Amino acid sequence: MTSIDRILTVALLAAGLASPSAGQDSQAATRAAVIEQEQQAKEAALRPYAPSPSERFVEKAQDLLVDGGLHWHPYLDPAATGAGLTIGVGYMQHVSAYNLIDVRGNYSLNGSKRAEAEFTAPRLFKRRAKLSVLGGWREAAEVGFYGLGNDSSEDDETAFSFEQPYARAVLTVTPTRQFLELGGSVEWAQWKVGRGKGDERSIATRYTPATLAGIGATVDYLHSQASVALDYRPSPGYSRRGGYLGVTAHDFVDRDGEFGFREVDYEVTQHLPILREAWVISLHGLATTTHSKSGERIPFFMLPALGGGSNLRGYGALRFRDRNRLLLQAEWRIMANRYMDTAVFYDAGKVAARAAQLDFDGMRSDYGVGFRFHGPFFTPLRVDLAKSREGLSLVLATAAVF
Amino acid sequence: MSIPRLSVAARVVVALVVAGVAGSIASAQRPRFYPDDPIRQEPASRDAAKAQPYNRPDLYEMFDNLLVTARRQPSGRRAGNLNTIDEVPDSSWFTNRIGTAPITPEAIARGPVVGPPPDPSKWVLIREKTSGAHPGFTARDARGETFFLEFDPPAFPGGATGVVAIATKIFWALGYNQVESYLTTFDPRTASIDPKATLRRPSGARTPFAQDDIDAILERVASNPDGTYRVVAGRLLPGKILGEFRYEGTRPDDPNDVVPHERRRELRALRVFGAWTNLTDWKAANTLDVLIEENGRSVIRHYLQDVGSTFGMNNEQHEWDLGWEYFYQGGPTLKRLFSLGFALSPWQTVNYVEYPSVGKFEGTVFDPRRWHPQTPTVAYMDMRDDDAFWAARRVAAFSDELIRAAVHVAEFSDPAAEKHLADVLIQRRDKIVRTYLPAVNPIVDPRFDGTTLTFENAALAAKAASGAVSYTAEWARFDNATGEEAIIATTQSATTSLAAPPALPSAPGSFVAVHVSAESTEHPAWRQPVRLHFRRDATGWTLVGLERLPDRAAGSPSAGR
Repeated sequence: MTSIDRILTVALLAAGLASPSAGQDSQAATRAAVIEQEQQAKEAALRPYAPSPSERFVEKAQDLLVDGGLHWHPYLDPAATGAGLTIGVGYMQHVSAYNLIDVRGNYSLNGSKRAEAEFTAPRLFKRRAKLSVLGGWREAAEVGFYGLGNDSSEDDETAFSFEQPYARAVLTVTPTRQFLELGGSVEWAQWKVGRGKGDERSIATRYTPATLAGIGATVDYLHSQASVALDYRPSPGYSRRGGYLGVTAHDFVDRDGEFGFREVDYEVTQHLPILREAWVISLHGLATTTHSKSGERIPFFMLPALGGGSNLRGYGALRFRDRNRLLLQAEWRIMANRYMDTAVFYDAGKVAARAAQLDFDGMRSDYGVGFRFHGPFFTPLRVDLAKSREGLSLVLATAAVF
Repeated sequence: MSIPRLSVAARVVVALVVAGVAGSIASAQRPRFYPDDPIRQEPASRDAAKAQPYNRPDLYEMFDNLLVTARRQPSGRRAGNLNTIDEVPDSSWFTNRIGTAPITPEAIARGPVVGPPPDPSKWVLIREKTSGAHPGFTARDARGETFFLEFDPPAFPGGATGVVAIATKIFWALGYNQVESYLTTFDPRTASIDPKATLRRPSGARTPFAQDDIDAILERVASNPDGTYRVVAGRLLPGKILGEFRYEGTRPDDPNDVVPHERRRELRALRVFGAWTNLTDWKAANTLDVLIEENGRSVIRHYLQDVGSTFGMNNEQHEWDLGWEYFYQGGPTLKRLFSLGFALSPWQTVNYVEYPSVGKFEGTVFDPRRWHPQTPTVAYMDMRDDDAFWAARRVAAFSDELIRAAVHVAEFSDPAAEKHLADVLIQRRDKIVRTYLPAVNPIVDPRFDGTTLTFENAALAAKAASGAVSYTAEWARFDNATGEEAIIATTQSATTSLAAPPALPSAPGSFVAVHVSAESTEHPAWRQPVRLHFRRDATGWTLVGLERLPDRAAGSPSAGR
């Protein structure tokens, strides 16, 4: 074979390789044959679908979330309000088709700790009741106390700590499987109150057991509770319409007969959709009254409080304490898209020694803006920036405000 | 003859140049038209028995479509599954029905149904319902046939079941493979549970289906006064279920699937059909590939399995934005964010006339180009105006009578609801016709008898356009082997008849090309000529080529992205 023969041979072979369809077309006499040749060519290279790494990752995540494969989960609820950044983890394990056990624990930036285990049976009595049995222990390293009353000063901040083992059983019954909700619970908890373990001045440097009930006390409580509520929201975790009306009565029995009291919470929430839920005016009211038992006192750490990321957002955690409290909140939420709302809000609240003093005079207030990242029924991230007369507060939360 | 001595590199270069020339010659030798053009049936010549089931995760698909596909620039590529006259041949995806052959009201009321209806005297539940937003079961009827039962939510008595009944008829008439669906009843007093039936629990385990599981579903659905429940029953498809199809790429395990799905015109056209019917849920999980035996080999048939998210019948009654926005869109998000919601979106103010059995469906503010599904697909993004024109002609083929016949199958208890739904469909049909038929040169049905070219103007015929129009035809001899055209003459007319010039070839097997443009002051897009090719056969001239818009140069819908 001459050189030119070899070159032409290579060239023609290359032409055949470079343009296989052209080569095939030259043999095809019909359009159908052309298509069939394409199908024949593909047949030689068939393979099963191979998902990309990101697709496999999402598939695994979706399987975990939807198909009951999720065991590990974040647990960010701190030992006490105001504990700061909290990291924690829980492990869930189903023990039957619906019942599960969750063991969880976390640690907060100020040294607070919490560990607990909960058994949940969500479908009792033909889906009319839910039972939760929980036991745990927590240690709050530094909890703020600013004195009693609505006029307490920020400068009077002190701190205390507590340790607490606890055990609780809660039964929630919805006789009609919707709207009407009846609840009952019984809890044993031991409060062991001590000095604050952080930089703040300890509460014991300012108060004595004589001037503030509960200083240095160890109290064993048997706490029973009953509630009745009408819940007509689509979900407590995220709603753009509907509302909630509830009353909860508490009875705290101190084994030593020193710190027993009763408490009643009244709560109302209403979401008012406007412009087809593109706007929502959400209103929330909460009133708490306490009544000490004869000859007994209410310890300071059990007094109703205001301040923090879910009530008076512009104030520090547990900023105001007294025997009674009133909280009024309003939010104007604007739907940015299906997964994000922005909000303008106003909070006002008051604590008072007597229930009759829970009026609108002298209420502490704040206002601010926020963003909510949400799904249809839950709010995994809420960011609020609140302004009060005591400054700006940034709130990062993993739940709806109310 | 001798050739100079060349280095190895130079020889390779020479070889490749020669190869290129040879390849070009081979390619150029491909005829433009084959004897069987235009084909009416897309062949499926290979056996697909090795295809395996796979479903992409819903979440992955949703985020991919919202965050990647929605930002994709349309390719401008012409649909890839067309025959040479710009039509979609029948295939395992699509069957030409309305717009190709007459359809009677009786035929549309029957739709995809070929078998007997279910016998609802006794249902045996065999497992949960695995698709669709509304509650239901998988069950065997009294004859032992398997159906998927879907109930109405309490907010929409008659609605969810009704729209499935209507939509399956409409999408069948449009040409898509549909599930046989029947309106029937479920009586819990005669129903039983198959002893082998199981249900997947939150723990992930499958445990026996229990009476309480039935109760849990029936508590959430609308019931009839006599204690029965209205259901729509979808017959189990024959064949091996292979999972969903995608609106892009091809199945790597199907030898017959050689056209990327985003280039399949019938999938692009869902943008028009979806707008008409407000089919908002385009997730792949609502589609289904099934392996069946056909002509002695295994082939994959592609179904639009769930078309129940139509006519404003959404998952729940408070989804106001469906059909108006994707689940997430950056522009409207920022607009609402920075205006604190004072910049209103159309879905906040549009007036809906709602009946319990009819969802949020209106035709007054509806704009086909501004309509959005929940998430876009690549096929949706790649729809061109010639695809939309093709789709709009099929929508236009639904007469008022056919639409009312399709809506009547829902058996709504309120005649006013039935009339309202049909009226809105008619209103939306007319808007689609007015939007898409005039958007491109609307010349259709060309015929050439050797002396005169006649055709229709689809936009004028449908009264979707008006005003004076003149037509210009550029005539050329066409060499089918080389693709070369030799201009002969240009003729003009103020009507839809154009005289042919003398000296046209007349020998059997010869071709002429005619490029027909239209001049209309209101529609400058009509100046883009429609390229026609006729072949001289023994009996006369046959249309073998029609190209409305060239590849990559087409305008594509500008709004809605």
